[in-house]
Amino acid sequence: MQIRVMGIWLAAAILATAIFHVPQTQAAEDTFVFTAIPDQDEARLRSRFEKVAAYLSDELGVKVEYVPVKSYAAAVTAFRNDQVQLAWFGGLSGVQARRLVDGSQAIAQGVEDPDFVTYFIAHESTGLAESSEFPKEIAGKTFTFGSKGSTSGRLMPEFHIREQFGKAPEDVFSRVGFSGDHSRTIALVQSGAFEVGAVNYKVWANELNEGRIDPEKVRIIWRTPGYPDYQWSIRGDVDRRFGPEFIEKVKAALLSMDDPDLLASFPRAGFIPASNADYAPIEDTGKTIGILD
Amino acid sequence: MNDTTAGYYRRSPLARTLAWFTAIAVVCLAFADIDITTVDPWAEFGRLALGLVTPDFTATENLLHAIAMTLAFALLGVSLSVVLGFALALVFHIALVRGFCAVVRAVHELFWALIFLQVFGLSPLTGILAIAIPYAGIVAKVFAEILEEADDRALRTLPPGTGRLSALLFVRLPDVWAHYKTYALYRLECGLRSSAVLGFVGLPTLGFHLETAFRQGNYAEAAALLYIFYVIIATQRLWARRQLLPLYLVAAAAILPWSSAISGANIARFFTADIVPFPLRNGEGLAGLLEWLHNLLIQQALPGTIATVQLTMIALLATGLLSALFFPLVSPVMFGRAGRTAGHVALVVIRSTPEYILAFVLLQLWGPSMLPAIVALALHNGGIIGHLVGRYTETLTLRDDAPRGLARYGYELLPRVYNGLLALLFYRWEIIMRETAILGILGIATLGFYVDSAFAELRFDRALVLIAITALLNIAIDMTSRRVRRHLRLRTTLEGR
Amino acid sequence: MDIVALDGALAGYGDAPVLRDLNLKIRAGERIAIVGESGAGKTTLLRLLRERSTAPVALVPQDLGLVQALTVFHNVYMGRLDRHGLFTNLRNLVWPGRRESSAVRALLDEVRLSDKLFTPVGQLSGGQRQRVAVARALYADAAILVGDEPVSAVDDLQARDILDLLGARKETVILALHDRNLALGFADRIVGLRGGRIVLDRPAAELSPADLDPLYKP
Repeated sequence: MQIRVMGIWLAAAILATAIFHVPQTQAAEDTFVFTAIPDQDEARLRSRFEKVAAYLSDELGVKVEYVPVKSYAAAVTAFRNDQVQLAWFGGLSGVQARRLVDGSQAIAQGVEDPDFVTYFIAHESTGLAESSEFPKEIAGKTFTFGSKGSTSGRLMPEFHIREQFGKAPEDVFSRVGFSGDHSRTIALVQSGAFEVGAVNYKVWANELNEGRIDPEKVRIIWRTPGYPDYQWSIRGDVDRRFGPEFIEKVKAALLSMDDPDLLASFPRAGFIPASNADYAPIEDTGKTIGILD
Repeated sequence: MNDTTAGYYRRSPLARTLAWFTAIAVVCLAFADIDITTVDPWAEFGRLALGLVTPDFTATENLLHAIAMTLAFALLGVSLSVVLGFALALVFHIALVRGFCAVVRAVHELFWALIFLQVFGLSPLTGILAIAIPYAGIVAKVFAEILEEADDRALRTLPPGTGRLSALLFVRLPDVWAHYKTYALYRLECGLRSSAVLGFVGLPTLGFHLETAFRQGNYAEAAALLYIFYVIIATQRLWARRQLLPLYLVAAAAILPWSSAISGANIARFFTADIVPFPLRNGEGLAGLLEWLHNLLIQQALPGTIATVQLTMIALLATGLLSALFFPLVSPVMFGRAGRTAGHVALVVIRSTPEYILAFVLLQLWGPSMLPAIVALALHNGGIIGHLVGRYTETLTLRDDAPRGLARYGYELLPRVYNGLLALLFYRWEIIMRETAILGILGIATLGFYVDSAFAELRFDRALVLIAITALLNIAIDMTSRRVRRHLRLRTTLEGR
Repeated sequence: MDIVALDGALAGYGDAPVLRDLNLKIRAGERIAIVGESGAGKTTLLRLLRERSTAPVALVPQDLGLVQALTVFHNVYMGRLDRHGLFTNLRNLVWPGRRESSAVRALLDEVRLSDKLFTPVGQLSGGQRQRVAVARALYADAAILVGDEPVSAVDDLQARDILDLLGARKETVILALHDRNLALGFADRIVGLRGGRIVLDRPAAELSPADLDPLYKP
């Protein structure tokens, strides 16, 4: 009897959850949807980006919504399938996305992005110190990239590794991993799970500020030359859907974003204009190491 | 001949088969990478333990949404699969149908989800079909087996000339209906697990947040999500009522965000362009295609297949050993009520936790080697087999002067159950293989790793070839397993499926 | 020396005693046959005797209690599990030792099963299985044997041989037997059960098959 009563309550609770639940990802025709690649700490990602959505909505005068995605590839797919019209991509994922969507364009990048840098970091037990030369001593050690689709965590470090050793990373290191994101790369090298790793310098600086990096355990051993990275990319067909000059409006809204609270989500000091051509070096590099056909 | 131990073992098909499997597993293990690569796994483990005792139910944004989505995908996906599976079971004698079912169930639901994400995007259809399609293949097979094994005495009493359908409706279905209902309920449990796991590739279910929480070490949040998941599974029998099912289905369909557009162009593009091998799209002709295929097979499919088989064989042996260790924990022949209750709780927890999540947790703790995968697969599957075998021992009565303790286990209990245990183990061989492949998504270099890489690089042509190889491997294992079971005359009971 | 002494004992399952007012003393060296129609309480009495025995008892239960998946060797060896350490037992489970297997084979010779040493019990006939159960009891390191219809599935001639073997190998033998002639031929004391009570307890030499008839009358 007791069990029966419990069952009825449970059933009622489940139904109530369903009935009173307002679907949150309703992307109606007139809603402008954007996403961002999940490249770092995802805690409270949704509430952080919903503030950005509110800002854009005010600026653009249309309903704007943020959709969280699980991977770089998912961000690209959503963009390609027109489930998002605007995305904060990395260099490589942006190239991938724009190759797949005719007429799409890079419209804005972070102030830091034209000259982005990857840090090679190492656990203190390796005894490696920072040098201006590529640290060839990392051969034979364990190494972790970030996400498989990351520019700063995979593409550029792999490019330099192949260039320096003339071999694929699997043949250079005793073990190669993909941590998933930059925060995780730092954590894995700091704990010694991997001896060496490659990390986005902005995320490194961010984590250092927040006191999550122990300089006794993990340190920078090499900084790559600069390369173009993150950017906002937008589909070319939004003008038709949201009105003339919509791309320009979005671009203006992004460039004039100056609330430090909003900019901290990326994290960037501000946004500057960008174009597809800015990312030609990334596309070439992607083809060189075989990530792009 | 007959009276030496060695002679006995040489003649025993069981001993020979087991020796082979053990030898293969040991060889695989010798070449396996099973290092613990984290420097201080126990510190991380301590944080995990702390998180488990201090669950934080407020940390997850949109928690109710995630719960509702998990339930909705599971309910709609499983219901659809049961309807489809039932229809397929009725025509299962057609070889083409059997082949179709074997293929669709050989592809793991996570792979289906990755494919449908490309076709339908984050539409509800992705989650529902990712569950419904492979499950329909499984349900069809099991329903057909139940139908085949049903008591056919009544069938023989029917007047000659009775139509097939009438015979089915009057004699066969009433006989198997109860089994079907039980099995459908069990599938729903599996569906809830799958639904949660689909979050790992981006669907908005519990797994979405669980993956984030575990990856970032927010163990209190992860614990809360896990506990919610356990409660949903544990209370399933209370809320999953037939009378309420229509209501649930309507509610599930109502809350899913159907408005996210499904575009015909996307679907067409996927089938006509995305999965066409790149050299063909690029006009490189047959020569280009062969080179592309050759590179793909040598550089990815081959190492992936080797690692997949290697991990499967080790995990199979480990599962067998753990099952033999687990089942006495819940056997009334071995333990009193108190001991047994503790055993039941432990086994419920380890078998309710999807192996994917288990492997994920162990991977965070120990670093990326095969060890977390082996342990996760063995724990989960050993928990399931241990539970079923332990339940079976409830029917045993031993002689009054039967030995006690370990001698009782070795001489009375194990010999009486090992046929059943092996039947279950070999039945799960294919399931272990499916999971092994999928664990690649977590970074272990099985086929799943290369499939995941192909999706990450948006190379769906490569992904599809690799998934097809995974499916073939699964079908091969399924057939081998059936042969081994027939050779050893091992029978699987309904519960074992 | 008394092995068992029952003085007004009750026995049965749960609250309802199957047997009551039991007065029975068994001395070492006796050969006792317990007779009576089925349901008279023979099995219950045997269980009680085994429980109350002051010395170790080897048992041949009615359902034999064999492990079908194990070989004849293992089933017989089980009679002495209590005499060996755990390690020896587990070693013999996986790989039977030379000494143990020759000891078991010698015993199987006597029940004419020596060619079945490593045959799984599941492959034996009913009569062969019964002989395995007897061999297990013989192998056990106990001077007392309690058997519940231990020869019901073998032919008459074999039955006599087995009973003789039991008598020769075990100091005290207590058997439930439904065959009156076998009982009289084997035992030196007959205990008759009827309606849950001992109604007969006399030396076998004083009894003829006809004397046992009342035990079986409706």
